Amino acid sequence: MIATSSNQSDSARLVTPAMLVLWLVLATVPLWIARVGLYPYLGIEILIWSLYALAFNLVLGTAGLPSFGHGAYFGIGAYAFGLCQFNVVANLWVCLMAAFVVAGLAGALVALFISHRRGIYYAFMTIAFGQIFWTLAIKSHKITGGEDGLLKIARLPADFGVTSFDLADNVAFYYFVLIVFALAVIGLWRLVHSPYGRVIAAIKQSETRAAHLGYHVWLYKVSIFTLSAAVSGFAGGLFAMAQLAAFPDVMSLHQSGYVVMMTLVGGGLVSFWGPVVGVFLFLIARDVIGALTNAWMLYFGLLFIAVVLFRPEGVAGAVTAMFEKQSAIRRQGHSAMRLLFGGGRWR
Amino acid sequence: MFDLLPHILNGLTLGLLFALIALGFMLIVGLMEQINLAHGSLFALGAYFAMQLMGSRPPFPAELAKAWLALPLGWRYAATLILAPAAVGIVGIAIEFCMRRTYGKDPLYGLLLTFGAAMVIEEMIRLTWGTRDYVLQVPQAVSGGFLFQDLIWSTYRFYAAGIAVAIIGLVWLLIEKTSFGATVKAGAHDSEIVRALGINLTRLRLLVFVFGTMLAAIAGIIVAPIWGIRPHMGVDAVIPAFLVIVLGGVGSFWGAVIAGLLVGLSVGLTGAYASEWSLLSMYVLLVGVVTVRARGLWGKKSVLEA
Repeated sequence: MIATSSNQSDSARLVTPAMLVLWLVLATVPLWIARVGLYPYLGIEILIWSLYALAFNLVLGTAGLPSFGHGAYFGIGAYAFGLCQFNVVANLWVCLMAAFVVAGLAGALVALFISHRRGIYYAFMTIAFGQIFWTLAIKSHKITGGEDGLLKIARLPADFGVTSFDLADNVAFYYFVLIVFALAVIGLWRLVHSPYGRVIAAIKQSETRAAHLGYHVWLYKVSIFTLSAAVSGFAGGLFAMAQLAAFPDVMSLHQSGYVVMMTLVGGGLVSFWGPVVGVFLFLIARDVIGALTNAWMLYFGLLFIAVVLFRPEGVAGAVTAMFEKQSAIRRQGHSAMRLLFGGGRWR
Repeated sequence: MFDLLPHILNGLTLGLLFALIALGFMLIVGLMEQINLAHGSLFALGAYFAMQLMGSRPPFPAELAKAWLALPLGWRYAATLILAPAAVGIVGIAIEFCMRRTYGKDPLYGLLLTFGAAMVIEEMIRLTWGTRDYVLQVPQAVSGGFLFQDLIWSTYRFYAAGIAVAIIGLVWLLIEKTSFGATVKAGAHDSEIVRALGINLTRLRLLVFVFGTMLAAIAGIIVAPIWGIRPHMGVDAVIPAFLVIVLGGVGSFWGAVIAGLLVGLSVGLTGAYASEWSLLSMYVLLVGVVTVRARGLWGKKSVLEA
């Protein structure tokens, strides 16, 4: 089942209509978010987590590999950003690159160990490595600041040589993250719909079949995991900028579980946009239900159970199913027309 | 060599506790091929229920509460060891009723469902009992310590290890030596044939699941005096339990027991020399073993690795 929510022509495009609409809506967010009782920082958080969830979904949704310790790479990216800023050079592009590369290296290291494993063994190896990285982050006081976190990370200005933008303000930073997010979405969309992405999807369907077709399954599994970790780390770097600090908390098993929940509630298994939908739901639910009751995890947990039981393909899956039903009706309508008019022009 | 002995003994008792914690998890993984991530929360729930029963305000009507409090501590403890797991078993029934819908699908759905259940239970624990730590009272006979070789040993640790050995033995007898165990194993192996033989598989699965949750609760009661009772104890238990099963290999009873002992030893010994890193050692152990052996120590083929 490699159902993608979009039709065939969309998957060949660089930028799809859905992306354009999404970006336009997102671009207006700072104009009205304060009026509906929320705050601009939430917008930043949603974008960064969306990027992280999309990267995570490369592994879970596209490749069908259960990774439950992904928070590690997000966290490593955040630390790498901070440490690069303090110890190497305080340049935005270099530090974001460092977040990408260091998290990718960590991901590659883990992938080398786990890519021959399957199912429960694969899943638990990712948990084990996640816990190892998390413990290292907490215990290495001198490097990471331990449980207090790595503080005083600055939002470096976006320097384009000719001109430079200050990102200290939340709205400015929001637009910066939005542009980065838009570019990353294009990249990931192309990746998922490239020949490489198709092979990954084939491996999800059946590793054995893909291997018999002559694909080097192990190499594909290693590469997609590495890539996913690297992009997660990149999102982590942005998160360090947003928070002005890097904390070990995002690397914990709980937080790694949240990204799985977001991705699934949204419908990451059947749709490219699933993770984004999930992040929106999760973070807005956190703020809205969290404002009413301090037991918001209880209600979100119940919602999650309901989704797994009744709509395991998630929100995006449910919406896709609805659309497909409608277009099926339309198609039937067309064929009825064809009968009436007796021509083949309606296809 | 001799000064290592306390650490080895400590590690072995800890290992038996890990094996005990993993037991219910293993039962559900081995016999139903489902991963019950709510295991830790049920473990915590068992400890909280026991704490409530053993405390000064038991959850009974006034008359009964008076009679209950009049009982000697030892009797109350023994009764708690049955009552608290039974109460947790009811929660287990509720979870199994939800879980039914995921049978036959990708095991990922069962895992996610129980992850959600774990979140809900943990949050409910927070709402009911708050975030503070509690202590579980135990009878005089098993608390305190004794002197041996100029060292003070905790009596409770050995009592807990003894209970762990007894329960592991009983569960082994139940699975391997009774017709119930044989049917359950057959059900896991080939559910269609077992159904065709006229066995009510739905009820069988419910029984196994409830039994697994009750084992989690018992483990919670036994471990609570050592670890303390707090909302986070569920997560602290489910990860080692999961780890022990993966290390021992899915579907292997003795694999899990040996893995529990190995994990206990490695945590105990690292704790002696580098206590900061003691919890890390079990993950390193797992990575070391599973890198070389695809199915843990003695794992069998299972749908969980599809």
